[in-house]
Amino acid sequence: MGGEVATVPAQAPPPAKIVVRDVGRTFPAASRRSFPVVALRGVHCEVYAQEIVGLLGPSGCGKTTLLNLIAGFDRQDEGSITIGGRPAGRPGPDRMMVFQFPALFGWLTVWDNIVFGPRHRGEDEREYAPRARALIDAVGLSGREHDYPHQLSGGMKQRVQLARALLNRPEVLLMDEPFGALDSQTRSQMQELLLQVWGLYHPTILLVTHDPEEALLLCGRVYIMGRDGRIQDCLTVPFPYPRTVGLIGTAEFARLKYDLLRALRPEEDSQPSGGHAGGRLKGGGA
Amino acid sequence: MAAAGRPRRGNAAGVRYSLISWGTVGAILLLWYVATARGWISSFTLPSPAQLLGEFRLLLLKGYAGKPLAEHLWASLLRTFTGLGLGIAVGVPVGLLMGYSPAVHAVLSPIFSFLRPIPPIAFIPLMILYFGIGEFSKVALIFLAALYYVVLNSSAGVRTVPRDLIRAGENMGLTRVQLFAHVIFWAALPHIMTGVKTATAVSWAIVVAAELIAAQAGLGFMVMDATTFFRVPDVYIGIIIIGLIGVTLEIITLFLDRRLLHWAGK
Repeated sequence: MGGEVATVPAQAPPPAKIVVRDVGRTFPAASRRSFPVVALRGVHCEVYAQEIVGLLGPSGCGKTTLLNLIAGFDRQDEGSITIGGRPAGRPGPDRMMVFQFPALFGWLTVWDNIVFGPRHRGEDEREYAPRARALIDAVGLSGREHDYPHQLSGGMKQRVQLARALLNRPEVLLMDEPFGALDSQTRSQMQELLLQVWGLYHPTILLVTHDPEEALLLCGRVYIMGRDGRIQDCLTVPFPYPRTVGLIGTAEFARLKYDLLRALRPEEDSQPSGGHAGGRLKGGGA
Repeated sequence: MAAAGRPRRGNAAGVRYSLISWGTVGAILLLWYVATARGWISSFTLPSPAQLLGEFRLLLLKGYAGKPLAEHLWASLLRTFTGLGLGIAVGVPVGLLMGYSPAVHAVLSPIFSFLRPIPPIAFIPLMILYFGIGEFSKVALIFLAALYYVVLNSSAGVRTVPRDLIRAGENMGLTRVQLFAHVIFWAALPHIMTGVKTATAVSWAIVVAAELIAAQAGLGFMVMDATTFFRVPDVYIGIIIIGLIGVTLEIITLFLDRRLLHWAGK
């Protein structure tokens, strides 16, 4: 499964929203005693219109770095990134980020947070206000419009981020472990909510996660990143949409999840008596 | 429109603690009364509450040093608010800029690092040397002290703005000026308010100190002048008024704080 490049889905390809070609990013040494850190090397990937694509990998493998490059928060040292055919460049509302720790404006109400983008870009309120109301309904925030972020739970805050991002009608939605900081029930609810919202609006989503289950449940394709900052593999998830959380209970899901877990721990394939949790997991699966 | 006046702590506990505080005030007044009534302390050193009240009535009627008491009070307040207001008006933008731009920070930080250990009162002689003993030297001193606290806190506030908050703003296509006005300023506001609160308390302390040294009116002048002429009750009255105004200023800033920062959700 080495440095193999992802293949385009079999059916007639819809337009590519994100194209990443040969991207490398190295962070300079933090001090004279440390070394430069290669976060990404030779990364190729693409996200097509209305897809949910996962970026799965262990912590520190460069997933978030890639997301930041695509968002325009950082610049790559090598290669090119295009969004809807245009070079990524500076950040803009064509690709909206949903941050892991909700970056909500604490001094603004839920409503003012959600309409923040179009309002400050001087767009017509008669145009965006009805859309905002529909989005608030879709993410289940009705009745909370006048609350302030500090009055909301973690899941509610992520709903605000999701609605705020979608109101900007981005080419792509970038999600950085959006449910990683939530408790497991809330996370499961939010995953289901994301599937519903996707069913309504069909946004193109690139989702960073370290959880194989989340990747399989939500994504149509999953890129697997290794610790060396390369994309190792790309898995096409065979489950048709619309999906529900019930999918997790199926045998096919369990098998794919096991494959992904194994793909994420390549070092243990080469070490038969490789240790603690990994050994048990493999024994159970074989 | 949001419910701004939500209770800070459990009501019953809050009432109990504020009763305890009033108890302290009562105990001090009682001790004062007993100490003077029993003659533990000579009435020249510490006049009795009744003596002070009588003197206070006289002050209200006749004023001090040919000026009504209100004029002394107003003189001090006017100096404070002029210096403080200018300090905030200049300090907030300078501090925001200093926090935002490493270059501006590099230019200004040596000045502020040097000023840090020097009590503002130490500049009174220089101010008199530069600007004479008129209003300007006092206002300038308060301005500088207020500026110092507001700049440092505003700048610290900007540097603690979460990176993702700024990124969220950039993400939605805000210009740099919009980012400052709609994100950075607000996110730094809790720190800015800390600076404003400190600056207010310090300004009031400094105006009194400046008036002690050179003034023709003001509460500080009154206390100093009364000391010179052994008008001990007037010294006490001056000090008590200074303290009460200080407490009032603190209550006002706390109120402002709660109105402006209700969203910070402590």
